[in-house]
Amino acid sequence: MIEQTLKHSTTSHTSGLLEPVWAEIVSITPEAEGISTFWIRFTDPAVAATYSFQPGQFNMVYIPGYGEAAISISSSSEDSALIGHTIRFVGNVTRAISRLKVGDVIGIRGPFGSAWPIREMEGHDVIIACGGVGLPPLRPVIYYIMNHREKFGKVYLLYGARTPSDLIFPKEYASWEEANIQVHVTVDRADEDWQGQVGVVPMLFYRFRMDAPNSLVLTCGPEIMIRFVVYEGLARRVQPENIYVSLERNMKCGQGSCGHCQLGPYFICKDGPVFRFDALQPYFNVEEF
Amino acid sequence: MQELDKVKLELGKIPWFQELQIKHLDMIAGITQLKQAHAGETLFRESDKEDFIYIVLEGRVALDMFVPPRGKVRFYTAERWEVFGWSSVTPSVRQRTAGATAVTETFLAAVEAAKLRELCDQDHTLGYLVMRRLANVVASRLLITRLQLLDMFSSPEENNAK
Repeated sequence: MIEQTLKHSTTSHTSGLLEPVWAEIVSITPEAEGISTFWIRFTDPAVAATYSFQPGQFNMVYIPGYGEAAISISSSSEDSALIGHTIRFVGNVTRAISRLKVGDVIGIRGPFGSAWPIREMEGHDVIIACGGVGLPPLRPVIYYIMNHREKFGKVYLLYGARTPSDLIFPKEYASWEEANIQVHVTVDRADEDWQGQVGVVPMLFYRFRMDAPNSLVLTCGPEIMIRFVVYEGLARRVQPENIYVSLERNMKCGQGSCGHCQLGPYFICKDGPVFRFDALQPYFNVEEF
Repeated sequence: MQELDKVKLELGKIPWFQELQIKHLDMIAGITQLKQAHAGETLFRESDKEDFIYIVLEGRVALDMFVPPRGKVRFYTAERWEVFGWSSVTPSVRQRTAGATAVTETFLAAVEAAKLRELCDQDHTLGYLVMRRLANVVASRLLITRLQLLDMFSSPEENNAK
């Protein structure tokens, strides 16, 4: 099973893995309360010319004096001119990032980790189920699908957040729908002004007919949400090997050395963050893990 | 087309009604009205004695509760082929426990709850199928409520602090 998971491990270039390379913040896009996307450009043109990543991978973002945080890349993997990191300000490092301005410089190590199974998705229906800041690691997948729409079957995005004001990237949903992606959005609760759906992400599986044998499910978000997304997929007879989850744990080194993000035999930072569910299944929902 | 035939036609499109025998479909159709609600129209309010169980045929209906001083809080939306107002089928619930408002132009099947209870008492095969379906509805609503109670998107400090 480890081999099955490692098959998706895609860390490919060596510079910038042990020591940070520097990048300038080019723009900052507020997405929701406490969440912004930081668009960066590497200061060294040689790094900018060679840097590449695959959808699902992350960078270690370094702020001198504060430390590093693992942040998924939320921009298109086919356009590395500017790299986007959508960040929720919840800890010391990310709060320090929230105080940065355009023109400031940050350190980047990466990209690290495994990627979403783009090749395996080709020719199949794809269900992208995510919640909260689980959408940013999947946005590169959405962009890839939009750029190569003919390679994929039906595509569904099931996305949820706590309230309507917590939804991120709302201005993009229309363009995703124009690319023939069915976008289902829900919120946990709302007031009378909200015209959309109210409920939780797993419930969105009730609302469309899935061709389970021909479908892959990709999910990212709070672990409790992931669990019930997986249950809904399995209940509809999606095979465990066709379900992919991206986990977020306490990643520190990004290389599987420090052990902070260990889950069973895996290091989330090195073997993940994207796992095929059959590899993860024995350790999934085990309370001690 | 006669009203009853229209009702049968609409009910026949609902996946779980396709499990029913013709005679059971006819029995339910006989106690069902088709209703249309405009966007923003209130179907019932919390504490109303109104006694229908609804199935959304087209559109979207929001279920809400009035919470002083927050106002109306929406906690669920029923979409196509979903049931709401199901607690009126139970013998112990005497009034609406939440309000229902059409969010969009909505087309509904409204089944008379008291008569449905009678039919289920008289024909236990039908009663079993109806109650099995309602158990599904209640179970899914319970799961959704649990996940909402957990407030999945809260407490990032505890889990994701960096």
